[in-house]
Amino acid sequence: MAVAAVHSGGIADHIHPEPEGFLRKYVFSLDHKIIGIQYIVTAGIFMILAGALAELIRVQLMKANGGFMTPDTYNAVFTMHGSTMVWFVIIPLLTGGFGNLVMPVQIGARDVAFPWLNMIAYWIFPVAGLMLYSSFLMGAPVAGWTEYPPMSLQGGAGTSMWCAAVFLVGVGSTMTGMNFLVTILKMRAPGMTFTRMPLFVWGQFVTAPLLMIATTALGAALAALFIQREFGVPFFDPAKGGSALLWQHMFWFYSHPAVYIMILPAFGMISEVFPTFARKPIFGYKMIAFSSCAIAILGFMVWAHHMFTSGMAPTLQLPFMVLTMLIAIPTGVKIFSWTATLFGGILEFSTAMLYSVGFLLLFTIGGVTGVFLAAVPFDLHAHGTYFIVAHFHYVIAGGSVMGALAALYYWYPKMTGRLMNEKMGKWSFWLYMIGMNGTFLPMHWLGLWGMPRRYAVYDPQFQTWNQIESWFSFVMTASILLTIFNALWSIKYGKPSGPNPWKARTLEWQIPSPMPYYNFKHIPSVFSAPYDFAEPLPYRGLEEELTDSPPPVPVGAH
Amino acid sequence: MAGISATVAHVERIFALVLGIVVFFVAAIALKNDWNSKGLENHVFKLMLALLALGAFLAILASVNVLAGKGVEI
Amino acid sequence: MAVASVTHAGLVGRPYEEPDQLYLETRELRVQGFLLFMVSDLVLFSSFIFAYLYLRNTGQGWPPPGAPKLDLALAAINSVILFGSGATMHFALENWKHRHFMKFANWIVLTIVLGALFLSGQLIEYAKLAVGWGSSGIFGAGFFTLTGMHGFHVFCGIIYLTVLLLQTLQGKYTFTKYTGLTLGTLYWHFVDVIWVVLFSIFYLY
Repeated sequence: MAVAAVHSGGIADHIHPEPEGFLRKYVFSLDHKIIGIQYIVTAGIFMILAGALAELIRVQLMKANGGFMTPDTYNAVFTMHGSTMVWFVIIPLLTGGFGNLVMPVQIGARDVAFPWLNMIAYWIFPVAGLMLYSSFLMGAPVAGWTEYPPMSLQGGAGTSMWCAAVFLVGVGSTMTGMNFLVTILKMRAPGMTFTRMPLFVWGQFVTAPLLMIATTALGAALAALFIQREFGVPFFDPAKGGSALLWQHMFWFYSHPAVYIMILPAFGMISEVFPTFARKPIFGYKMIAFSSCAIAILGFMVWAHHMFTSGMAPTLQLPFMVLTMLIAIPTGVKIFSWTATLFGGILEFSTAMLYSVGFLLLFTIGGVTGVFLAAVPFDLHAHGTYFIVAHFHYVIAGGSVMGALAALYYWYPKMTGRLMNEKMGKWSFWLYMIGMNGTFLPMHWLGLWGMPRRYAVYDPQFQTWNQIESWFSFVMTASILLTIFNALWSIKYGKPSGPNPWKARTLEWQIPSPMPYYNFKHIPSVFSAPYDFAEPLPYRGLEEELTDSPPPVPVGAH
Repeated sequence: MAGISATVAHVERIFALVLGIVVFFVAAIALKNDWNSKGLENHVFKLMLALLALGAFLAILASVNVLAGKGVEI
Repeated sequence: MAVASVTHAGLVGRPYEEPDQLYLETRELRVQGFLLFMVSDLVLFSSFIFAYLYLRNTGQGWPPPGAPKLDLALAAINSVILFGSGATMHFALENWKHRHFMKFANWIVLTIVLGALFLSGQLIEYAKLAVGWGSSGIFGAGFFTLTGMHGFHVFCGIIYLTVLLLQTLQGKYTFTKYTGLTLGTLYWHFVDVIWVVLFSIFYLY
């Protein structure tokens, strides 16, 4: 046997036998890859629900003076759209979904540090989702996904159910963050120092502490709101000594890091796709890694930029403005690095690459409007208008979602052993670009002209642009539906991919597709970062992975 | 009645002072003995022993009313 | 014989188990994971502590009108009882490391008793205050929420330590493999440290 034994009796040799029975294999699986697929599928279902809610919004807004929804219903619809998208689509998809699927293999581990916790964290997710949607039946939450008091103190029991559901999904998120952090800190393959990790792992690594710390802070805020609603404890009621502004501080202290939870994994995904389809090393590996750390840390210091018009102390506006603008610097470093990666490369425009290039363009636009909004005088004018809606949809729908779609097309072979259909993929990309930009670009000027957000009816002068946006939103929906169809169709009819259809260099591509339950027959050792296309693969010990040799024998299994 | 409740508070204070001093020294000595231990969890233990000693010290100050906040009855 | 079984708890006559590579690596994961759990618990408390300090400094001032006065003497002795239980738990673990099972058992039982005494002291204090959680304005929002959360953590800690004690009687831990005992001690110290902060911000500020 040519392979040197690297570990002796430790976790790397501790292999469980393959689980048997449908329940243990696919329902209550402890395998991070299956759990990742479970997250992706569940998040996909929630995306359909949230997307349907979005289309209800767009249909309502085709008419300036009363579509088909009462204002109360409209409020519930956009509240649930936002709540679902943030907590039940983007965050679980990018962290629990692709993080679970890919990260342990990319660090050369057999699973995450706490597989049972992983499974429990997954199952919390659909249960919490059911709880959230049950709130429609008991007086839905109507104050937006931000649920500011005093509005969130009123109304039916649905808001309390919203508190409980989001708290629960947050618990799952916190568990995942803790799990990933310990996994990346302690279970990397021999030789994989931090500067030899793939950038997708860096993305998960900096997101994990945000998941742990920020989500718990949200839990506290939600618990306080629940306690006030159900037990009358006046945290947020000024008449009894509380403060409505307290909610905003507590909520945004979490929710600003939350947006970095939504984007940092996507940065990691893009950083994998670009070198592969430009056949070039990533430009500025260390800058991308360290700027991610900077963004994660700075992200905790800027929350009050959501509160410039709230009546908080004016002296706080300047420091928050400056810190917010500072975040543009590490972000800009990344944009330049990715662009430089493409420059001079041999570009192959697969669907994953198309979505990644689209990300580069659209996230930059969203980031730039973010810098506008960081400036207090501008924000005083734009806050609460459609300009804000445009900004965050560009960074989320143009950033996070496109990163996730790129990841889907990129890593689909690792899940299923087949490729997604390229023709459908390209159609979905162009439909998405046209649809997404058509929907959200006009919101910039609508906002500056003064159209306020979260209103079921609006001034008729805005109607033409709203109708245009709604038609384009149907195009966007078609794109998403096409992608979902593609993903399902390709399970059966997709071209078999083989282990490494993209000739990529990270560890997950050096094992069969779909990935075997034990990940590696022998844990490799690593002696460089994976992006140097001129060199041979920087691993030792992978000779047997793609051969017919038998799977590793369970050692010390219980 | 008022006389009796004042006595109870007195007893509580005396116990708090004496036990506080004992706990303070126990924590401080334990900290000194473990000072050179290595490893993440041992560092965490040392930090917690130090904070324990601090807590006992604050309880001593509270028991003699050197530190007392607004809203407490002395 | 009962005494012999308690004294030895299945530890005598067991072949010496050198901690193997798998145990050591798994132990590192568990300790790190537990420390991170404590960090997130700390964030939870910090959020409510922030809320209390914010409400105290931006509203009607402290104490809020109609709020009862806190009993410093009772809190002082109660605190010392809890801090003392931290010291006793430290001794319990030290004795386990030095392979003294009976002394370990005595110290951990004392820890549990002191923890229960602390909780009783808290309940006495709540009864003396005689106001409701939701009917005392920001006093309830700050004091009862935070001390209530803390008391719940103490209660869980008492159960945790009791379970650990029972597990040692069943021979689950050896003198070389006792990660669960280390984690339990960490948790108990954590609960103690949180009380240092709460004691300071409610009774000394």
